[in-house]
Amino acid sequence: MNMQKNAVIAMILAGTTLLSACGTNNSGVANNSPAPSAITSGTEASADGGKLEILSGNVGGKTPEGNAEFEKELSKKTGLDVKLDKPASDFDQKVLTALSSGAKYDLIEVSDLAKLDAFIKQGVVTDLSDFVQNSKVLSDPAVIPTGEWDQVKGPDGKIYGVFSKFQGATMPIVRKDWLEKLNLQEPKTLDELYTVLKAFKEGDPDGDGKANTYGLSTSGLYDIQGIMSAAGLKYRYVMQDGKRTIPYATDAAIPMYEWFAKLVKEGIMDPNFITNDTAKMRNLFLTDRVGMVTYWDAWVGMFNNLKKTEDPNTTFQAEGMLSIQAEDGTILMRRGDPDFWIIPANAPHPEAAKKFLEFWNTQEGITLGSLGVQDYDYTLENGTYSLTETGKIANMDHGVPYWYNSTVKSPFPALPGVEDAMALSKQHATLELSLSTWPDAEKIVTNYALKAMSGQMAAKDAVAKMQKELKSANLIDE
Amino acid sequence: MRTIKKNAMFYIMMVPIVVYFVIFAYYPLVKGLQTSFQDYKLMGDRPYIGFDNYDLVIHDPSFWDALWNTLYIGGGILIVGFIAPLLIALSLNEVMKSWFKKTAQMLLYVPHLLSWVVIGGICIFLLSPDTGLVNMLLMKIFGMNPINFMADESWARSVMIGSAVWKDMGYNCILFLAGIAAINPSLYEAARMDGATRWEQVRYVTLPQLMNTMKVIFLLNTLGIFRIFDQIFVMRNPAIASKVDVLMMYTFQKGIMEIRFGPAAAASFFVVLFTLLLTVMVRKITRFDEV
Repeated sequence: MNMQKNAVIAMILAGTTLLSACGTNNSGVANNSPAPSAITSGTEASADGGKLEILSGNVGGKTPEGNAEFEKELSKKTGLDVKLDKPASDFDQKVLTALSSGAKYDLIEVSDLAKLDAFIKQGVVTDLSDFVQNSKVLSDPAVIPTGEWDQVKGPDGKIYGVFSKFQGATMPIVRKDWLEKLNLQEPKTLDELYTVLKAFKEGDPDGDGKANTYGLSTSGLYDIQGIMSAAGLKYRYVMQDGKRTIPYATDAAIPMYEWFAKLVKEGIMDPNFITNDTAKMRNLFLTDRVGMVTYWDAWVGMFNNLKKTEDPNTTFQAEGMLSIQAEDGTILMRRGDPDFWIIPANAPHPEAAKKFLEFWNTQEGITLGSLGVQDYDYTLENGTYSLTETGKIANMDHGVPYWYNSTVKSPFPALPGVEDAMALSKQHATLELSLSTWPDAEKIVTNYALKAMSGQMAAKDAVAKMQKELKSANLIDE
Repeated sequence: MRTIKKNAMFYIMMVPIVVYFVIFAYYPLVKGLQTSFQDYKLMGDRPYIGFDNYDLVIHDPSFWDALWNTLYIGGGILIVGFIAPLLIALSLNEVMKSWFKKTAQMLLYVPHLLSWVVIGGICIFLLSPDTGLVNMLLMKIFGMNPINFMADESWARSVMIGSAVWKDMGYNCILFLAGIAAINPSLYEAARMDGATRWEQVRYVTLPQLMNTMKVIFLLNTLGIFRIFDQIFVMRNPAIASKVDVLMMYTFQKGIMEIRFGPAAAASFFVVLFTLLLTVMVRKITRFDEV
């Protein structure tokens, strides 16, 4: 009986200890999270300890084995003991869970400027202004053009991130071979675009004798920027005389939504465009089901390369296209939010993180981020680079398919079509203005815009509803 | 004390379960309650702000839209998802061919084993306006124009209710069949001796004897109304979001998408409160305590 009693007491004690351990750990996290400024000043003076813990969404190997090799190579190249945590899915949730639970990382990859704003407000990120300005590597405009830093600045003008790669723009991507087959020119106006898309639908461009092709497919509202450009409408917010406006919710958008509704009604536009994810949209393009999609410039090269790899004799030719020009000559292209690294305020080894950030923008870092690990993803013999089978699958993308540093050249020729597409992006693409109220506004805009485009609601009514709801929720000023 | 000593081994055996629930259920619950009263930041100070988060949530129109959507979709799933498997269980009980009964049960049960990601993919595939089987049949048989079921507001809730009922029909059906199998055969024998028809046996023997099973299933399904999330997360799109976004989706958006943990925690405590109220109501109405 005594033994039983002792066992009960032991179990209760063990349970209590376990609980109190959890409690202590969590309260410790809360208490050990001093104000960002205190952490920053404290860590600047501390030694890095030679360790580096990274939470990454894109950077790393494509498989667990590849990631282990990448981690090893990263340690070797930087001289740090690197731990690279790359979750297979739900990266955003993993980041939030890590931050709120007090897990400590030295670097976290972020690809959403709205998230950066939230992180700044919540004291999560370290101010990197001094580090960037004093860094020989990062302050060099040849490595990162000076104007680009504005993207990762907070409302206070301080720099809170360092780019992990060059982010391009979205644009209409057209089947050049279909245009040639149907004796059509690349469309410059909305009317010409309609003619081309209609021909893609009705002219049997794939030559199988069946009416099974669509002119256009999209996924999500932001993708249509290249076409909304015809009315000079920029996605998200635009400030006019200090007032918040959303061009997609103005009367000027009505004829554009009517134009899309006409495409849907005539069967020219893929009717699944509302439920499409980007993978489905890409597959439609790659399987000759659709002649035009709106997507990232980098994918022009990847589309061509994928088809060429599948069939070396393919006639498939994707080409990036300029957005449709507005009457006043405006050309609007959508620049994507950048991918960048932040150093969390509770990073245990911020100096190691800074060392990594410089390394990542050098020749060695870029080679690792693009080609991958030597003798695993690629081989180098007598100055000649060759991709291994693993490297071919990775498609020269270990988080850095394209980069800012103009002094670093790829050892391989650019994928077909991508350079022309990127030249268009660099010339015309601009960032969108994403205010903190955008997530709420976006729900209203996308809801009614998609209804108008699909013909479920008259465009005029949809825009009127948008305006009414946006105003009543104080999401626009006029 | 003597009783405790006598049952000491049983108490010891309970300890791991109690510890599990305390750590993984009650501790997060208490932390969530604490968060709902804080201006919760990912790092740094987290000052207490009283009922501000609750105030923000109850003055947010999208919270009430989400509540209405939850009640509509959850209520639909509860009612249709209760009646449909009951009818099928009663029908299968009448089937004499064992192989048919077993095959039907297996086919009905399979969707329950699939995740919402798979079910969502199947729905998008089947209901597609151009290549979907449903629209092809509607066009061939009835000459109808294709319907964009997954993107049309007027169909959105029905699709959610229908797919949820389809997914869990087999599971509920098996519970009903187990209840039917437990009914004393002598009751049917007595009914037959009294000249009862098959319908009268169902009406006066099966259904009354199944009442307790029905109450349990109804109550369990009621508890799930406010927990609908996976399905909506997978199957929603911006065109139908205003009709299908439920309370858990609202909480997810506030917490994960907008990084506003305080309002998200407050909204989740409304979910707890609503679930509690609904459960008490159902218990009263169904006289659950008499089971």
